[in-house]
Amino acid sequence: MDGVALDVSTRLLREIARGDRDAFTRFYDLHAALVHTFALRILRERGEAEEVVQDVFVQVWRQAETYSTDRGSPEAWLIMMTRSRGIDKLRSRRRRDEMVRPAENPDRLPELVVLESASGPAEARATLGGALADLPVAQRSVLELAYFDGLTQSEIAARLGEPLGTVKTRMRSGLERLRGLLAARSGAERA
Amino acid sequence: MNHEQWLEQADVYALGALDGEEQRLFEAHLATGCAICAARLRDTREALTIMPKALPEAPPPPALRARVLERIAAERPPAAAPVVLRPERDRRRVLGWAGWAGLAAAAALLIVVNAQLRTTRQELRALQDRLASLQTELAQREEALRFLSDPNVRYVSLGGLKPTLEASAWLLWNPTTRQGLLLARGLPSAPAGHAYELWALAGAQPVPAGVFTVDAGGRGLLRLPPLPAGHTYDAFAVTLEPVPGVPKPTGPMHLHGKVL
Repeated sequence: MDGVALDVSTRLLREIARGDRDAFTRFYDLHAALVHTFALRILRERGEAEEVVQDVFVQVWRQAETYSTDRGSPEAWLIMMTRSRGIDKLRSRRRRDEMVRPAENPDRLPELVVLESASGPAEARATLGGALADLPVAQRSVLELAYFDGLTQSEIAARLGEPLGTVKTRMRSGLERLRGLLAARSGAERA
Repeated sequence: MNHEQWLEQADVYALGALDGEEQRLFEAHLATGCAICAARLRDTREALTIMPKALPEAPPPPALRARVLERIAAERPPAAAPVVLRPERDRRRVLGWAGWAGLAAAAALLIVVNAQLRTTRQELRALQDRLASLQTELAQREEALRFLSDPNVRYVSLGGLKPTLEASAWLLWNPTTRQGLLLARGLPSAPAGHAYELWALAGAQPVPAGVFTVDAGGRGLLRLPPLPAGHTYDAFAVTLEPVPGVPKPTGPMHLHGKVL
């Protein structure tokens, strides 16, 4: 497994684990945009999203040695850390909001603004976005409510006024499509 | 919960959408070391990376990069994290006798704590193994119970033949679904490179029905794969065959019994 077969990010993580600060800088430059984009989508607030980016990369520095390819790609690892920190913040904000209804935070972005102000120039991103847009809205929205907004399946059912079984079925079919998309993409990369 | 249901839970877990109790149950299942669910979880998480990657990119401000790099500059190198016990050069001069004694005591304590932690970890792993084997056993019993409660299921008794007269087996056989569960007793352990093979006999034609080995107590359990349709299976037999099994019996027959 060692050697040429490792992708850039995995190699960088190994160097980071040995305390290589240059490798860390390169790793940050490769992935900061993805982590920031994702955190901003979850929190819709710049200040909190930036805190998540900082925390995630500090965690990368401290825990690079615990990363193992057996557990998935470096991107999947980063994305998991980002989501978990993002959703934690989101939930504690929701708890605060429930206790005291605060004046609207002017820094907080309105719903969906990130999705609509499409400015991603990368071709791959456009293709992916397009492929995701092909998902039936019903499937896509349950995936987004769970993955981006941190709702559990029964919360989603309550929010949409749909039976839990329907929500589960849509999640399953949505994930099935995502897996198909991923397989098609890695197939295309190999070809 | 059967495994198909666990896999579905794995998907919802990857999405972070299981409700509290279900999440706890799934994590407990995962902690038993279920490799199938762990693999599924990994695949689903990989597929989910598409969601953030498909978002229109929002580049982070350059000031954030500077802040992150500053924080990392203030961090210890990760590999050097456990150096707590190595006194730094200039501090060594300042350390008096009491300081050294304290340090030695701390080191001794750390060694003890470390040893205890290792024992606890080993105990935990042993408990997880035990839990996994209990769950397997439970699943097998549930399966046997499901079988027994099906009115179509027949009980086939197999008796020992010449090489092992004292051996016996019973087979729960469902002729409708053509599935079954075999429990054999008193068979000697198979010689290296060999295993027992079960045959379903349709008249004179033997159809392979699975391969099994026996434990130190001579017990063997086999869940029959669904057998091909279009035959009436009227008897079953067990022979000793080279691993991984053969399409036609070649070895000595150890057990035989008719479907009554």
